[in-house]
Amino acid sequence: MTRRVNGCSGLLLCGGCGLTSCPHDLSLPLSKFTWTRGPMSLLQPAIQLQHTTEPLPSVQEELQFWMDKAVAWGQADSPDTQRDTSLHLRRLSSYLQELLSHINTVRSTTETMKRLPLLGQLLGRLCWNPHVTADDTSRGLLFQCLWGLYSEEPSDAVERKANQWIRRVLCQLSTEEDDAAAEKLMKRMGVPPKEYHLKVLTKMVAVLQENIGKSCSSLGNINQRCSCDSILATSEVCVPLVSCPEAAPLIGALLQRPATCVRAALSEDFLEALSSAFSRKVLSLEDQAVVSLWIHSLSSLEEAVLSLLESVLSSKGSTPQRMVQQVSQSLLPKACAQHCSIFLVVNDIFRSTLKQSEGNNSVKSLIQTFTSCFLREVALLQPQKCVSLKAFFPQSPQSVLVPLLTLPSEMPPEAWSHHLNWLSSSLQRLTEEEEEGEGRSSTRGHQRVFEAWFLLVQCAHWVQVSVQLLGTNRLEDRGPLLWLLTFYHHPTNRGHHRDLQLVQAGEAWLHLHALFSAPPHPAPADCQQLLVALLSPGPQRPALCPSLVFSLLLNFAVFSHQPLSCSTQVLHTVVRRSGLVEEAACALRSLELRLSAGSCSSSDATRVHLRIEALQNTLTHMQAAWSPAESQTHTHTL
Amino acid sequence: MESALRNLSSSVELLAVAAHSGAVDQWDDHSLSSAFDWARYCEHLFSRFHNNPAVRGAMEEQLQLTNGRLRAAFPGSTEVSFPDLSRCQHHLLIGLLNNPKLPISIMKLLFDSNAPADSGCVDVSGLCSRIIQCKSACKVLSPLTPPSAVGADAEVQGGLLMERLGALITHGRAEHFLDSVLRGCEGAAAEHFCLVIAAALLTRTNSETASHEVLLDWLLKEQPSTLERTCSALPTARLMDLVKEHLKFRDAYRDVLKKWASEMEYSIGDGEWVQSRTNPPASFQKLTEHFQALFETCPSLRDDVEKELNALKISDGDFDVRGLSVWGDLLSELHK
Repeated sequence: MTRRVNGCSGLLLCGGCGLTSCPHDLSLPLSKFTWTRGPMSLLQPAIQLQHTTEPLPSVQEELQFWMDKAVAWGQADSPDTQRDTSLHLRRLSSYLQELLSHINTVRSTTETMKRLPLLGQLLGRLCWNPHVTADDTSRGLLFQCLWGLYSEEPSDAVERKANQWIRRVLCQLSTEEDDAAAEKLMKRMGVPPKEYHLKVLTKMVAVLQENIGKSCSSLGNINQRCSCDSILATSEVCVPLVSCPEAAPLIGALLQRPATCVRAALSEDFLEALSSAFSRKVLSLEDQAVVSLWIHSLSSLEEAVLSLLESVLSSKGSTPQRMVQQVSQSLLPKACAQHCSIFLVVNDIFRSTLKQSEGNNSVKSLIQTFTSCFLREVALLQPQKCVSLKAFFPQSPQSVLVPLLTLPSEMPPEAWSHHLNWLSSSLQRLTEEEEEGEGRSSTRGHQRVFEAWFLLVQCAHWVQVSVQLLGTNRLEDRGPLLWLLTFYHHPTNRGHHRDLQLVQAGEAWLHLHALFSAPPHPAPADCQQLLVALLSPGPQRPALCPSLVFSLLLNFAVFSHQPLSCSTQVLHTVVRRSGLVEEAACALRSLELRLSAGSCSSSDATRVHLRIEALQNTLTHMQAAWSPAESQTHTHTL
Repeated sequence: MESALRNLSSSVELLAVAAHSGAVDQWDDHSLSSAFDWARYCEHLFSRFHNNPAVRGAMEEQLQLTNGRLRAAFPGSTEVSFPDLSRCQHHLLIGLLNNPKLPISIMKLLFDSNAPADSGCVDVSGLCSRIIQCKSACKVLSPLTPPSAVGADAEVQGGLLMERLGALITHGRAEHFLDSVLRGCEGAAAEHFCLVIAAALLTRTNSETASHEVLLDWLLKEQPSTLERTCSALPTARLMDLVKEHLKFRDAYRDVLKKWASEMEYSIGDGEWVQSRTNPPASFQKLTEHFQALFETCPSLRDDVEKELNALKISDGDFDVRGLSVWGDLLSELHK
């Protein structure tokens, strides 16, 4: 850094910093109050003003600290000072934030300057520190502080001078060139400075990226110097550059370097800066680099999972298609397929969310969607890169793991029924074993049942196939299918009610069966009445989960061979009386999505598709006619 | 064509207003955005017509007229030449930022680091913030770049020089351009230009062979002093890259070394060969190192050069006494 002596009165210029050519004169007009006085006297104006709004003690005390830092950073351009700057950036930006709020509460710039006489100098020095101005957050806050000190209508000489100074600093920062020879040449060649600097930056990044990419040269010999020595330093220097798009290839190279050498560690501050930029969505890294970031930084992985959960669970009226999109865009399924360790973390978070939410339906469908996206990514991986699926599910009951993870589309529809019978009886056996042994090791037993259920939630495509089969009116073999459905909706067997719930589910099925196989017109009114009662959370204990009944109803409506008009009419009546229009529409959409993914025998596909379309039309009309007043009286949720 | 000239004229007037008139205090973000649109238009005119002598001539004439008018209206205004058009947005920005009447709201817009993308002036909002970020990032990274390289800046300039030459070759104006660049360089700038020339000669893209040829011919045939300066300014590793890459350069380099040697005189006082003509003077030791590096890079050259040196030594009387013939002393130094 050279020049910037224009406009300097020479009065106070850098008496303190002792540089031959020093940029700090820019802070002159604002520093005129106290630059020549000792640090104690700096506090005097503030003490005199104690009767009015006093700056927060922390703002004032810390100002001296940061002033000392800024002076030290400006005096030597050594690797140590650069490192120190990088490592202080986060603290600096929170201090700038405090300063900003302080500036904004004080009435005038003159007053601010009286209270914080060193402020102008500090800001001036920071403006000429490239580590500070390279960092998005610090730069933004620095500019905001300057705007805060700018007086739209200056009332005295101090404010007029401050205004001029602010304009001059900003003009010089953006238009002055350090390298006169280069500037001259670029002018002759007609290259605009902006493009030139961008090219130089890109070039530097490419050179450094290439160096980083060189493999470790010490080959395990700890005493030999190797190229890894520069990794830590480079990552520290990159702290201010985490949200600079041009630096992304270098940051990506740092993150993706294979961890072969003990000296190739990345700086914690670098990883923290990346995590924070990631959560603020200002990180511009390639997908693969983001995955590497998750490997390096657990907190950023957790952040990503929680943000996915939040975005999915908070979006009301979201469609199943939208959920698939959100999940895939989160990049997490891909990262999980590539790295088992990431999958285990993500799954742990899902596990505890599921427990906390007590089996909330949105959480369940998110977990199912996530698992199916994950399985798709696993299938896309090269076979040699793929770890055995068992490694991904160490806590799940291994006997049912592969059968559950198998997709319905991976076997002929004729085999579904047999497969489900087997799955259901295996799970039933497993839960009975654990529940019987409850007296001895109940915690462990509960844990195993939970894991079996968690796996079923992840692979709920089989639950959906069983409701589909139950909806096709077949009377034989419905026991195991109903058990699977009941277990999915009532995993805990609280109060040993499962047997009773099973009986209720069987009765519900019988009602529906009667309704959807009765001769057309008129639909038996008492059946419909009963259904509505089942769908409403009534006083009876144990209540059967309404969403269980509801999914049965929908599958009957879609898959039964009853004339379409009758099915439409039943759905219309039940939905209208229970007020579950939105839920029905959403369930139909997700059924459609699943069927389009190939979980329906092809001969039946067209018929089913037409039926879904007709049912959707009915619901659309109902939604349009649904008056707000009416919707208030129906507040059931599934 | 006429409308282009009219637009050019108004754009230049706009530049003058932006830099010198109090009228900018009425500007809002849309005025700012459209001012930059016009500046881009001028850049486009430049890139489209700079190689078209007829149009360029007409535009230069138009600029002269406009500049004359503007001189009268804004006495302090700087003239806009045709080449200036290539960096018109930059001119506009400098003018605006130096105009004390520029509204603070516009300043804020230019320096806003997180401007919303749909603000309607995507290209200008945060413009200065981006420039500062980019310049700062270069400064932050520069200490990390390996010391052996010429530097990313020289490499970029070399690449740009090649592009420019490529565009000028078809119009036979490349040499003229190089001359004019060189005329503008003095002292440190001239030395810097040598680094850029070297970097340009070392760029590797298929399309640049013709540009390499032109630059090399210009350097070797017309610019002996620039060639010498290049040979003394460049780090040895870079010189050897050039020697490997360009045969013509290798031979010219050898001749430069011989010329340096021939200009040396033996200082009896110092007991050393000294050379005072080149600036900075090359020492006898440095000269030896140059020869050694050359032999190491091109071992096949060694015999020929040594024969030449030997012939020169013989013409000096073929004495084996130190201080009588620079060639003899060089040879004995090289054989050590």
